[in-house]
Amino acid sequence: MKRLVSLWLNGRHREDAVSDNLLLLDYVRETAGLTGTKCGCDGGECGACTVLIDGEPRLACLTLAAACEGKRVETIEGQAAGGKLSPLQQSFHENLGTQCGYCTPGMIMASEALLRRNPRPSEADIREALSGNLCRCTGYVKIIESVKAACES
Amino acid sequence: MNEIASCASHGEGIPAPTHAAGRRQPLIDGIEKVTGRARYTTDLPATQALTGAILSSPHAHAEIVSIDVSRARALPGVRAVITGEDCDVPFGILPIARNEYPLARGKVLYWGEAVAAVAAEDEQTARAALDLIEVEYRTLPVYISAAEARAPGAVLLHANKPGNVEREVNNTFGDVDAGIAAADLVREESFHYAEVAHAQIEPDCTLAEFDPESGRLTVQSVSQVPYYVHLTISECLKMDPADVRVIKPFIGGGFGHRTETLPFEITAALLARAARGTVKLQLSRAETFTIHRARPETDIRLKIGMKKSGEITAVDAEVVQRGGASAGYGIITILYAGALLHTLYRMPAVRYRGFRVYTNTPPCGPMRGHGGVDMRHAFESLMDMMAETFGLDAFAVRRANLFVAPYQSVNELKVSTCELAACLDWVEQASGWRSRKGKLPRGRGLGVACSHFISGAAKPVHWTGEPHATVNLRLDFDGSITLLTGAADIGQGSSTLLAQIAAEVLGLELARFRVIAGDSALTPKDNGSYSSRVSLMVGNAALAAAEDLKRQLVAAAAKRLEVGVEDIECLGEAYRVIGTDRMVSYRDVVKSALEVTGPLTTRGTYTVPLDMQGGKYRGAGVGPSPAYSYAASVVEVSVDEDTGQIKVEKLWVAQDCGVAINPLAVEGQVQGSVWMGMGQALCEETEFVNGRPLRGNLLDYRVPTIVESPPIEVKIVASYEPNGPLGAKEASESSLGSIPPALAAAVAEAIGVRLPGLPLSPDRVLAALHARRREERLKSALAGAR
Amino acid sequence: MTRLCEFSLRHPETIEEAARLLAAEPEVRVIAGGTALLTNLRLGLGKPASLVSLEHIPGLDKIEVSAQEVRFGAGVTLARLATVPAVRASLPALAQAALTVAGPSHRSAATLGGNLCLDTRCVYYNQNEVWRRSNGYCLKHGGEVCHVAPQGKRCHAAYSGDLAPLLLVLQAEITVTGTGGVRRMPLGQLYHDDGAQHLTLARGELVTEVSVPLPAPGMQLAYRKARVRDAIDFPLAGVAMGLRMDAGRVAELHLALTGTNSQPVLLTGTAELRGAAADAALAERVGKLVQRQASPQRTTVTTSNYRRQVATALARRLVLELAAAGAGQSRGTA
Repeated sequence: MKRLVSLWLNGRHREDAVSDNLLLLDYVRETAGLTGTKCGCDGGECGACTVLIDGEPRLACLTLAAACEGKRVETIEGQAAGGKLSPLQQSFHENLGTQCGYCTPGMIMASEALLRRNPRPSEADIREALSGNLCRCTGYVKIIESVKAACES
Repeated sequence: MNEIASCASHGEGIPAPTHAAGRRQPLIDGIEKVTGRARYTTDLPATQALTGAILSSPHAHAEIVSIDVSRARALPGVRAVITGEDCDVPFGILPIARNEYPLARGKVLYWGEAVAAVAAEDEQTARAALDLIEVEYRTLPVYISAAEARAPGAVLLHANKPGNVEREVNNTFGDVDAGIAAADLVREESFHYAEVAHAQIEPDCTLAEFDPESGRLTVQSVSQVPYYVHLTISECLKMDPADVRVIKPFIGGGFGHRTETLPFEITAALLARAARGTVKLQLSRAETFTIHRARPETDIRLKIGMKKSGEITAVDAEVVQRGGASAGYGIITILYAGALLHTLYRMPAVRYRGFRVYTNTPPCGPMRGHGGVDMRHAFESLMDMMAETFGLDAFAVRRANLFVAPYQSVNELKVSTCELAACLDWVEQASGWRSRKGKLPRGRGLGVACSHFISGAAKPVHWTGEPHATVNLRLDFDGSITLLTGAADIGQGSSTLLAQIAAEVLGLELARFRVIAGDSALTPKDNGSYSSRVSLMVGNAALAAAEDLKRQLVAAAAKRLEVGVEDIECLGEAYRVIGTDRMVSYRDVVKSALEVTGPLTTRGTYTVPLDMQGGKYRGAGVGPSPAYSYAASVVEVSVDEDTGQIKVEKLWVAQDCGVAINPLAVEGQVQGSVWMGMGQALCEETEFVNGRPLRGNLLDYRVPTIVESPPIEVKIVASYEPNGPLGAKEASESSLGSIPPALAAAVAEAIGVRLPGLPLSPDRVLAALHARRREERLKSALAGAR
Repeated sequence: MTRLCEFSLRHPETIEEAARLLAAEPEVRVIAGGTALLTNLRLGLGKPASLVSLEHIPGLDKIEVSAQEVRFGAGVTLARLATVPAVRASLPALAQAALTVAGPSHRSAATLGGNLCLDTRCVYYNQNEVWRRSNGYCLKHGGEVCHVAPQGKRCHAAYSGDLAPLLLVLQAEITVTGTGGVRRMPLGQLYHDDGAQHLTLARGELVTEVSVPLPAPGMQLAYRKARVRDAIDFPLAGVAMGLRMDAGRVAELHLALTGTNSQPVLLTGTAELRGAAADAALAERVGKLVQRQASPQRTTVTTSNYRRQVATALARRLVLELAAAGAGQSRGTA
């Protein structure tokens, strides 16, 4: 069954006919064509698809698009505004918080959720906020440094 | 135009050349990654693509009696159905060991092996078509362990390999028996290592576009080795390689998973041709685990002879690797396990026996630290145990065995530089070893270990006689320089490094450069990103290409300034007559340089000098390298004796990688590498039940999370490698192997028990603690009875 | 694209309507946060014709604190449970237990009701369709045999929710709404010891509210979770305990387990510990209780033996820890 779903994606209003069984991950990537949000596992194991829904970090791979009616969905593509990287994007870039880059959008979105709630997180807060996001390249060291540096900027 | 005026128009005095090398350089493609604009294979626009899907074997070992695809073919929306019948060319990375087919022919050798594939108009139809394919199997005995597969009477997986042994290695260098006889202590121990997986976060995916009008094929895939993908696909599809183009998009990690052509890549191409269109073949995480190609389950029996001084007199090692169902890199892996014994410490005599065994498990392959990691754990652990007998400190026993470079090992490997002594000094000091070791509270411990790795194999796996690496630099009217390389940036930062090298030579800012990496229509062939070869080999090629370009620019400047080339110095954004203020801007030099010839392309190549290509014995091709990198690590742990849980408190790593061209990236590589070693040491393992993989997901294959990942302090020790570009050698694999033994040693101090293998999962640690307590109780009971 | 079976998503606006929808057809499932349900559907575990979402039903996300109890709507997310100041103040151990579930992006969707009704888990069950089919399916889903104990007649899949044990210790009650009306019952009555059918809910029933009596003064509470990684993982074993000491002796002790049996287990025999001093002997007795009543089977990649041992060890340690905390507190308040 399809239904019309209207939502805000990175601040822009959209209305799409979506199947009830469409995952938000596929909506974002295929329907809206925003491929920055990644799929790394078969469901809920890696955090690569983390997006914000009404400001909360959520797994797009375990969310139905039809359940996002009226909500504000934010993805990595919405982070740079006015030709300027967000502080987290800038910091992940400068501090090598990204290597292969595949976990990076999820990492940045999970970090973004943290910083909106808590602009001066401790290292423990950072670890806690990113605990559902796996990275296989960095050993997480420079990810933590990137989030810390973004707070200072 | 007046030369001086043209410079003055920049509003500057005499410009200084930029030093792009040696500085902490963010990735040249980092902005794409942090903005989500980077397109990985699965992200490529392919709205018209058909969906590919694979029917996999439900058995771990069986004959295929029949396959009926007629009902699947008849399903509306299905555009192609293929089976093993559609490709009769075996493939494999080593020309001497090709025994894998993209789709099984006659037999299936592991659970999940591809048997048939479908291209359909949508996912649902593709899945429905798979359900309509009827396969009849006759099951065969399943061999999961190497011992089962080697047992007398076992069915052979490959008819030409008796005993299911793919390769037996028997190498002796030096007089082992005399060395053992001369030792003050000889000790032998056995170790068992679980199989681990790369678990790169990007699942496997290939996009294959077949153009029916031209008969040409374009493949974009998750590869570390686009050239091999190109070669294998054209062979398997019996196509002229000129009709194939392979493009490497952004790659979400490799770690060795993607260093050979993988069956699904060929299958995607076969499907695209059969469907006469574009096919996207996206694998699930579970399927990606089944592709595997990682570090095998390994058994090691190791004997060391040691003098009271700690000096090692001889080594006798036997290794059995469960290689999985096909050859892949197996021969190389079993050879590395022996070859890498020689170049970390001074080894007077080494006997090595290795068995690479075919089993009904997914094919193993190279994984970061290829071949050396499990052996390094066994070696460093046994060395520690023996040092304890002599009352020697763990640092002392290692120092007793250091060699001074240049050094030639008994198996004829040449080490030009080695700063392992400095690495040991740093980790000893930084970790506070001297004041803390042995004085930590119960449940806490420190351990040290060393490791090393090659900077690329001196002999490429596929010998063509061509240079090992080629880089082109393209300079056009706009003054921008495009670096063209086949080397695959898989997240390690190779594109950034190559641009830094070229920019350093030319004295220019990185902003003048673009890098195009891995597009067979544009970039020169490259063997790929494996065995840590890119920094040194492709780096040298980039250096040569840049030097050639600089020569041409200097010549153009000399002509323009009407002096000899020897009178010109390159200042990057200007070229000047030495000792004067006469100069010409870079842009004007470019104009002059292009005047007659038009746009310039220079070529730099690198070939490993013949005297570094190793000995003449069987297997001598594995081990030689133009340079070896070294690392020492100290690990601090605390262990919860109630739960068996290990907490890694901190890692200290000192790395000798020659000159760090990008210290930021070196730190990142070392941190990632040692952390991966930590995962293998703590909790990562695969497991099979009745031939089925039990942990084919990221919940049960336990990649450490950020919470239990420790702070990692990295020191890049001062070093200069004459064979490397600007003094550099590899930095991504050499440190990994030091962590499992250092961690195990730290655990041994913390709980007084040494476990004979990996991983040190909580259940194993607790079982070992309980066994120790039982033993102690028994001992005290016996003592009481006396 | 990810394959999920076809279903229609319903958004009832009252609990009664939700109950009616749930009762109306056999293949229908409740979806709240969806983190557990959608994972299973992606593996092909179940093909519901419709999903009944609780999202539009007002009041399911309430948290009401009174002098006697805290009442939670079943739709309260674990993220709120862990962070709302009123919960952290009145039931800090519950907030802490919620934080042990998965990762933050799961917790901002997952709900209290969903965690209580979490499906049981097993390595032979939480696999994809291709895997399970090649293994002949299993007793819990589509097959005849339990691969964990092929001789037996029951499913041994383990209950792995992190909140139930502490709520059992707290003597929480749940409100269940169905087409037949509303009933309130102790949380323990929600569960059966059967991995294939571990909930007692009848067709058309759903958990709508959880009432947690405020613990007696001096009651020390905690939840400890054994797992290999410090995030994401389900419990290999989880131990919740409530302990009240009086003059150095046990006045009240409740102890519950998760991850070890097909249901969360409130241990019996704890009343006999009343009057015991907080010493090694007490820890030993507590450990014995756990050892006898925990029944882990080969349902995880980690051995069942380890899970029993670690549950025992955590309980032993926890009783002394809570006793010491209680003593510290009474000294502090004195």
